[in-house]
Amino acid sequence: MKLLRSLTKALLLAMFLVFALFPLFWILITSLKGGQEIYAFPVRYWPQTPTFDNYRYLFRISDFSIYFRNSLVVSLVASVGAMIISVFSGYALSRMRSRRPKFVLLLAMYFTQIIPTYMLMSPLFISLAKIGMTDSLIGITFAYVSMMIAFSTIMAKSFFDRIPVALEEAAMTEGCTRTQTIFRIILPLTLPGLAAIFSFAFVNIWNELFLAVMLLSSNHKMTVPVALNSFISKAGVNWGVLSAGIVVALLPTMIVFAFAQKFIIMGLTEGAVKG
Amino acid sequence: MKRSLILLVAFTLLFSAAASAQTITLNMLEVITSPERTALLNTLIAEYEALNPNIKINLISPPYEQSDQKATLMLNTNQPLDIVEVRDYTVKQFVNNNKLTDLTPYFENWPGAQTLSPVADASARIVDGIPYLVPHGIFIKALFVRPDVLEKYGITEMPETVDELVEMCIQITDPAKNQYGFAWRGRGPTMKYSDLFASVYVKEVADAEFIYSEDEEFFLHPDYKKGMEAYIRLYKEGTPPDGVNWGFNEQVNGFVAGTTPFLIQDPDTIPLLNSMLGEDNYIVIPLPVGPHGFTVIDYGFGGWGIPSYSKYKDESWDFISWITSAEKNGYFAEHWGPLPVHTTTFEINDHFQGKHYQAYAYEMANPDVYLLKTYPLASPKWPAWSASHETDIQSVLLGTITLDQLLQKWHDYWTK
Amino acid sequence: MQKRGQRYFFLIMLPAFALLTLFIYYPIFQGAVIAFQRYTLFDLTSTPFIGLDNFKAIIRDINFPFFQILLNTVIWIGVSLVFQFVLGFALALLMRKPFRGRGLYSSLVFYPWALSGFAIGLVWAWVFNGQFGMINDILIRLGLIKMPIGFLSDPRYAMMSVLIANIWYGIPFFAIMLLAALQSVPEELMEAGKIDGAGPVRRLFSITIPYIKPTIISTTLLRTMWIMNFPDIIYAMTGGGPSNATNILATQMINKTLKFYDYGQGSAFGVIIMALLFSYAIFYLYLTSEKEELL
Repeated sequence: MKLLRSLTKALLLAMFLVFALFPLFWILITSLKGGQEIYAFPVRYWPQTPTFDNYRYLFRISDFSIYFRNSLVVSLVASVGAMIISVFSGYALSRMRSRRPKFVLLLAMYFTQIIPTYMLMSPLFISLAKIGMTDSLIGITFAYVSMMIAFSTIMAKSFFDRIPVALEEAAMTEGCTRTQTIFRIILPLTLPGLAAIFSFAFVNIWNELFLAVMLLSSNHKMTVPVALNSFISKAGVNWGVLSAGIVVALLPTMIVFAFAQKFIIMGLTEGAVKG
Repeated sequence: MKRSLILLVAFTLLFSAAASAQTITLNMLEVITSPERTALLNTLIAEYEALNPNIKINLISPPYEQSDQKATLMLNTNQPLDIVEVRDYTVKQFVNNNKLTDLTPYFENWPGAQTLSPVADASARIVDGIPYLVPHGIFIKALFVRPDVLEKYGITEMPETVDELVEMCIQITDPAKNQYGFAWRGRGPTMKYSDLFASVYVKEVADAEFIYSEDEEFFLHPDYKKGMEAYIRLYKEGTPPDGVNWGFNEQVNGFVAGTTPFLIQDPDTIPLLNSMLGEDNYIVIPLPVGPHGFTVIDYGFGGWGIPSYSKYKDESWDFISWITSAEKNGYFAEHWGPLPVHTTTFEINDHFQGKHYQAYAYEMANPDVYLLKTYPLASPKWPAWSASHETDIQSVLLGTITLDQLLQKWHDYWTK
Repeated sequence: MQKRGQRYFFLIMLPAFALLTLFIYYPIFQGAVIAFQRYTLFDLTSTPFIGLDNFKAIIRDINFPFFQILLNTVIWIGVSLVFQFVLGFALALLMRKPFRGRGLYSSLVFYPWALSGFAIGLVWAWVFNGQFGMINDILIRLGLIKMPIGFLSDPRYAMMSVLIANIWYGIPFFAIMLLAALQSVPEELMEAGKIDGAGPVRRLFSITIPYIKPTIISTTLLRTMWIMNFPDIIYAMTGGGPSNATNILATQMINKTLKFYDYGQGSAFGVIIMALLFSYAIFYLYLTSEKEELL
C-alpha cells in the first residue's frame, strides 16, 4: 500500500517535471542547431550536427557579457533594496492596530498591482526626462525598486502575520527596542518568506523589458531582456541565437532559485513559533 | 616672476584655443534595428569618425519591436538627438508634430540629390513634396519562386498575370502531401498583399494618385470585388489554412521548406534566403500584373532625418550626405538588403547586377507597367486602417463576415 | 504608549511610499488623464479634453467588439487562475515532505517562472506552430491527426493554446508560495489531527487550508491582478488574433497604442482595467475581511 502511494507520488512528480521541462529542452536543442536544421519537419529532437555557433555569435557580435553584467548589478541591487524596504513596511502593516489606516494603506499597496505597466511608460519617461534620469542605470534601479515594493510588502505582511505578536511583546518587556526585536527575533523566523520575496523580485526585474527599452538608450547600458528582444528584427526571429540567449539568461535566475530553495524548504522549527 | 606669469598666460590661451576645437557628439537613433545592421552601421560610423576626428557618433539601437515607440517618445520629449531614422509609416507623424527639419536648403547644394532614383526622390519628398529625409533603402516587392518544386508538378512557365499565379497555386496544392502554393501574409501589413490582387483589377487605379482611387465608390467597385474574390480563392484553395496567422518568419519558412513555392517579398529577404536556402535554389521574377496589364508597386523606405531641435544640423547633414552617397549607400544596401537609392549605384556596384536583383531593376525601369504608388499615408484614417485591415481579412477568410459585408464596411470607413 | 507605537509604524513605511508616489502614483495619474483627451501620435499639438468619447469609441468599436474582449478577459483570468492554483497546490503538497533530490527537483520544476513573458510567448508559439511545431509533430506521429493544426490561427484553438502557456507559467508561483506557507503549519497540529482520526484529505481541508488561508487569499488576489496585466504571452503568441479571438483588455490596450497610435484610447483601456480590478479587489477584501486573518 505504501509502495503504491510512493509510486503514484513519484509518477505525479515526474509528470510535473516533464511538463515544466519540455519547452526548456526545446529551447536548448534549438540553440544547438544550425540555421537550416531549425526549420526541418518532421521535427528533429536532436540536432544532427550540434554546433555552438549561436553561442559564439551571442558573445562575439552582440556584447552579451556587458548586458549580462548590467542586468546582474541592477537586479541584485534593486531586489535587495526592495526586500529591505518591504521588511519594514510589511512589518508595520502586520502589526498596525488601527483598522482604518491599515485598510487604506493595504489598499494603496494592492492599488499598484492593478496598474498596467504599459500605461506607466510614457508619463514615467517624460518625468524622468525632466530630471535627466533617462539612460541611467541608477534611475532604472530606482524605478524597479518602486515596482517591486508593493508586492514585496504584501507578501512580507502575510509572513509576519503568522508570527504571534506575543513573541515581540515578550522580547520588549525584557527590554529590547522594537527595531532590535525585529532583527533579532522576528526576521530569522521569516527567512523562507524573505528568500521567496527576494527571488521573485530578482526574477521580475531580471526579465523586465518595456521599461528597460524606454528608459535606457546607450548600448553599454542595456540589459539582458533588451538584448534578447533585439534578435527580433524586420527579418523575423533569429531562433538559433535567441534560444542561446534565453538559455544563458536563465542561468542566474535558476541559480537564485536554487539558492532560495534552501531557505524555503528548510522549514520552521515549530518550537520558536508556538513556544 | 613676471616672465613665468606671461608664459603661463600664453600657455593657457594656447591650450584653450586648442581645446575649443573640441569633439562634437552626435546622437543617432536607428529604428529598423537588427544585430547585423547595427554592426554594419558601426563599421561605417568608425570609418566616418576616422575621417573626421572631431566628430563622435553615439548610435542608439532599440530593439525593432519597440523602436518606433522609442523614437516617438524621444522626439516628443526633445531628448538630445541629431540623426533619426525615419520610415514611411512614421514620417508624416513626425512632420505633423514639427519634429523634422526641412532639408530643402541642404538638398539644393547636394550633388547626390541629382542621382537619386525616381522612387528614392519620391520617398524623400513624400510629405507635401518637401524633403524631410534622405532615403537609404527602398523596399519594393517582387515574386520569389522555387522552380525545383514547380518542376515536380510539371510546371516550367512562370506566371505573368495575377490570375495565372492563382491558378498555378491551386493546381499544385495537395493538402495530403502538405503541398500548397502561396506564402500567405496573415499578420502585419495585409493590405500590401490583398491589394496586389484587388486594386490591380480596377482600371482606374492606373491614373489614381494612390493605390485606392479617389472615387468614393472605390471599395464597392465590381472589379475590386472580383480581385478580392481571386485573393480569397487563393487562400481557400492554394494556401495553408494556418496562413491566416503567418508573419514574415512563417512566409520565409514556408518558402524555404518548399511548402509554398511562391513568395512575394522585399529585397532584404535575399540575404536571408541565400543563407537559409542557398542562392541557386530560387529565382526572383517581376510581380505578376493584373488583368489590365499593370500592377502597383507600393514603395516602402527608410531614411535619415534631422530632428528640428538638433543643435548640430550642419554636422549631422555632413554625416548623412556621406553615408547616403552612391558608394557608401551601395555598400550599406548590399549588406543590409533593400535597394540602394542612387541610380549610379546600380552601375558601379556589381552586387546589384546579380541575378536576384534583375527583377527589381526591371520593375523600376518599367514604371508604366509597374506603377509606383503608395497608400494614403498622410491621411489620418491610415493608422487605424492598417491595423483593422488585418482583422477584417482574418474575419472574411474564417467566414465570420461575407465579402459584401466586408467591402461595405471598408467603404463606410473611408467615406465616413 | 499606544500612539507612539503607531507613529513608529507610519515612519518606517515612509521610504516605501515616497518611492511609490514618485514612480507610480504620479505617473499613473498623468496616464489616466490622457484617457480623457484626444491623444494620437498623429498630431500631438492638439490634445483637447473630450470627456468620455474615448470610452464610447471603445465600447462601440465594430472591429474589436468590446463584449468579446471582456469575455476573453474573464476566460483568460478565470481558467488560468483555477488551473494554476489547483496544479500549483497539488505540486506543493507533493513536495511538502522532504525526499531525495528535492533541492534539485525544485530548482528544475519551478524554472518556468524565471523566463520572461515574451520568451515564453515565443517558445510556446513555436511549440504550437501550425507547420513546424512540436505539438503537431507529436500528434501526427501518434496518429491522432493527419494534418497539422493551426493552433494559433484557428479561433477554436487559439484561446486554449495561450491558456496552456499561461498555466504552465503560473504554476511555480503558487507552488512556491503555498509550499512556504505549508512549511509553517506546525507539526503538532497535524499530529493532533492524526490522533483525532482524521484522514489525510480531512486533515487537508480542516487543518491545513484554514491555517494557510491568509497566504491563499493574498496570492490568489495578486495573481488575478497579474494575469490581467500580463498580456505578454498572448501578445507574443497571437497578437490578440485571430480575428479578436484572444484579444483581452490588456492586449487591446497595447494594440491601440502601438498600431493605432492612439494613446487616448489606449489609456482609456488602462483606466477600464484599473477600475475593474479595483472594484474586484475591494469586493474580495471585504468578503474575506470578515475573518480576522487578512487585516
